[in-house]
Amino acid sequence: MTKQEFLDTLKIKLSNLPKKEVNERLNFYSEMIDDKIEDGLSEEQAVLEIGTPDKVKDEIIKDIPFYKIAKEKIKPKRKLSWWEVTLIVVGAPVWFSLLIAFLAVIFSLFISAYAVTVSLWAVFVSLIALSVCGFLAGIIHLFIKGFFNGGAIIGCSIFLMGLTILFFYACKFLSVAIFKLTKKTLFILKKSLINKENA
Amino acid sequence: MDAQLKRGLLDVCVLTAIKTEDSYGYKIIKDTKPYVELSESTLYTILKRLENAKMLTVYTAIHGGRLRKYYRITQNGINRINEFKKEWDEVISVYQFIIKEGKKQ
Repeated sequence: MTKQEFLDTLKIKLSNLPKKEVNERLNFYSEMIDDKIEDGLSEEQAVLEIGTPDKVKDEIIKDIPFYKIAKEKIKPKRKLSWWEVTLIVVGAPVWFSLLIAFLAVIFSLFISAYAVTVSLWAVFVSLIALSVCGFLAGIIHLFIKGFFNGGAIIGCSIFLMGLTILFFYACKFLSVAIFKLTKKTLFILKKSLINKENA
Repeated sequence: MDAQLKRGLLDVCVLTAIKTEDSYGYKIIKDTKPYVELSESTLYTILKRLENAKMLTVYTAIHGGRLRKYYRITQNGINRINEFKKEWDEVISVYQFIIKEGKKQ
């Protein structure tokens, strides 16, 4: 792949991003390739070292905040005529509420993912409290209600403690998984916004 | 490595690469190569972040009939390097404690 081919491909792939930002990045890669060639690499090699346009595109998408991509997507590509503006204004009750609903859905997805994480840890904390309190209660029962009664409660509490330790690892694993999942979702969301027009 | 830690480390690494003299993208990657593998996209992000934080300034100069961007460190950037060294002096002393105590067992 030549330098020009690489830059052109990347430009098309990033056409839904802010123009200024894309140009700045393209200049950066262009300078990089020129410097590599000056250092003795062939054009082919220099481009290869940067990576494929797809790989570079993914790295760039991860880098740009969601709102910027969304804003660029909403912005009209040409000037609107008077009747289009009128339609947009008249239709505001419809599209505005749809937009709000769409954003609310995404927002609630993220919130619920985090809520699940928080509640998992809350369960973990209450398990600790339960097993510790149970253990203490067992000791008290030992004196008040006798050996068997107290012993049974202490035994249950120790079993609960073991369960709590296992639950800690489950919690940790799930928290990490949820975090990764939300990150991945955001990336896919960004990507889908960019891809639509050049698919 | 922890992402936050790595980011801070790379920031200071790039600042150090432009500290003694102004440098450009490809040279920064080459100069830091023996110590850390920086991809072009990563470097772009770091340079942008440092520019926004006013730790470096950017200017364009002609080189061999084309334009090349050069990066110059600011006082803010120098301060960041010094801060980093101070922080890491503490980290190293804790690290040495951990190693020393670890050997005793």
